[in-house]
Amino acid sequence: MKGADLKLVMLGKRFGGNAGQTEALRDVNLEIRGGEFVTIVGPSGCGKSTLLSLVAGLEEPTTGWVAMDGHRVHGPGADRIVVFQDAALFPWLDVTGNVEFGLRVAGVPRKDRQQRVLEHLEMVQLEKFAHARVHELSGGMKQRVALARALVLRPRVLLMDEPFAALDVQIREEMQSVVQDLWVRSGTTTLFVTHDVREAAVLGDRIVVLSHRPGTVSAILENGARRPRTLNDVGVAEAIRRSNEILKAEVQWSSNQPKMQL
Amino acid sequence: MVEQPAQDAAVKRRRERSLAWEFRHLIPMVAIAISAIAIWELIFRSGVWGFLFPGPSQVARALVDFWNSTRLVRAIVATLRRLAVGFLISLVLGALLAFLMVRFTTFGKGIQPYILGLQIFPSIAWVPLSLIWFGFSETTLLFVTIIGSVFGVSISFADALRTVPPVYLQAARNMGSDGMDLILRVTVPAALPHLISAAKVGWSFAWRSLIGAEIIFATVGLGFLLNASASVPDIAGVMGVMLVILVIGIVVDQLAFTKTQEWASRRRGLRPRR
Repeated sequence: MKGADLKLVMLGKRFGGNAGQTEALRDVNLEIRGGEFVTIVGPSGCGKSTLLSLVAGLEEPTTGWVAMDGHRVHGPGADRIVVFQDAALFPWLDVTGNVEFGLRVAGVPRKDRQQRVLEHLEMVQLEKFAHARVHELSGGMKQRVALARALVLRPRVLLMDEPFAALDVQIREEMQSVVQDLWVRSGTTTLFVTHDVREAAVLGDRIVVLSHRPGTVSAILENGARRPRTLNDVGVAEAIRRSNEILKAEVQWSSNQPKMQL
Repeated sequence: MVEQPAQDAAVKRRRERSLAWEFRHLIPMVAIAISAIAIWELIFRSGVWGFLFPGPSQVARALVDFWNSTRLVRAIVATLRRLAVGFLISLVLGALLAFLMVRFTTFGKGIQPYILGLQIFPSIAWVPLSLIWFGFSETTLLFVTIIGSVFGVSISFADALRTVPPVYLQAARNMGSDGMDLILRVTVPAALPHLISAAKVGWSFAWRSLIGAEIIFATVGLGFLLNASASVPDIAGVMGVMLVILVIGIVVDQLAFTKTQEWASRRRGLRPRR
């Protein structure tokens, strides 16, 4: 199935509270073509994760809206699946139980379920760990399971919230190539949030740079480097350089920035 | 050739050891029980309290007499049945109340102090009112068991439900789970180890309330047997029944709760505490 077109229109989010309101996002406009891989990069606290929550429908926007294939999005749905930073696998289920969770909720018959789960475990090369428990998996394996759990539902939009931030460098690079493969095979529209500019440049067709709080779109960079990509490709290096320039300007602009990885 | 028998012996020894190994955690427990009985026997033999302080052998004889007259069995059956029914009702009502407290935060905040107060409220103090309401009946005993434990159950169930990491709920909602499906598929299993601890707290409340109420009035049951022995007075019998109440408490706690808790923890890779 082809990935969905996404349109973010004047999207804004404020979080209320007794201590006053914080504005996480302001007037974000973004158009994403079906099947595109867009990375969103920005300093910590720029509302990247909030942006994904709004697209996922886990939070309601304060202003503006999200449209998928021209229809406004309300509430969560299995057509837009999030892969969380800490994988958020369910520790009371084994690997198979986790991957088939959404299929069970949707009432998919047992036989179909088994076949689809196996197929997706093979895609992330974890078929040998079908009955392993979550605590027995390494960080990279957990994210592979989370990817299988997401893709088994054949989402039209895949939302990834700094999924590899907690992984070692080697594992992170390996996972980046896994994600590229899976994206090519599934053709799903992918929004990938990261604070790592290099990761954004390796993965994204376009790189959206967000400013510090409130998050607004500072720049959108086209990244024409050919796939499959690695960090050493000339096109990727160029994208990294340009993203860094924009981000550095952002950093100078706001003095009380948390540390970021450039 | 020469090594063969030695190897067999080694294998055999390992097997024997592994059986003992299985029960090794019971060794300190048994040692404490033996020392406690020994100290008890010593105090008895010193004769400081005379007939007011029977020794282990007298208490054991009293228990054998109770057993032979079937009074003990009937008392245990009656008490455990009340406990099971009362505690089950209390679990259901407590779960319902806990769910409302967690689901409707404002309601939860408003009612929490009162429930805490009712949890601290001595369950025996419910007996006079329930006697007026339900008379000298099974209902009164059940009512006191339930009312004595339901508030403790609901408070600790609510606490257990609040331990569920929000990201699990987000992930599940994201995959299309909602409402009752979300509660049964995610909230309950995610909170399970804490829910078991909560049930354990609840059962101890129910147990204390029931025995207390039985001492005040009952025609059969451990509390009644305790009171009846005291009015004879059969001091060895009183101590015997107290011992039975203690042992039932330990057995239920170990078998019903500690074991299931270990199982639930081990399944998610947490080291069980012994």
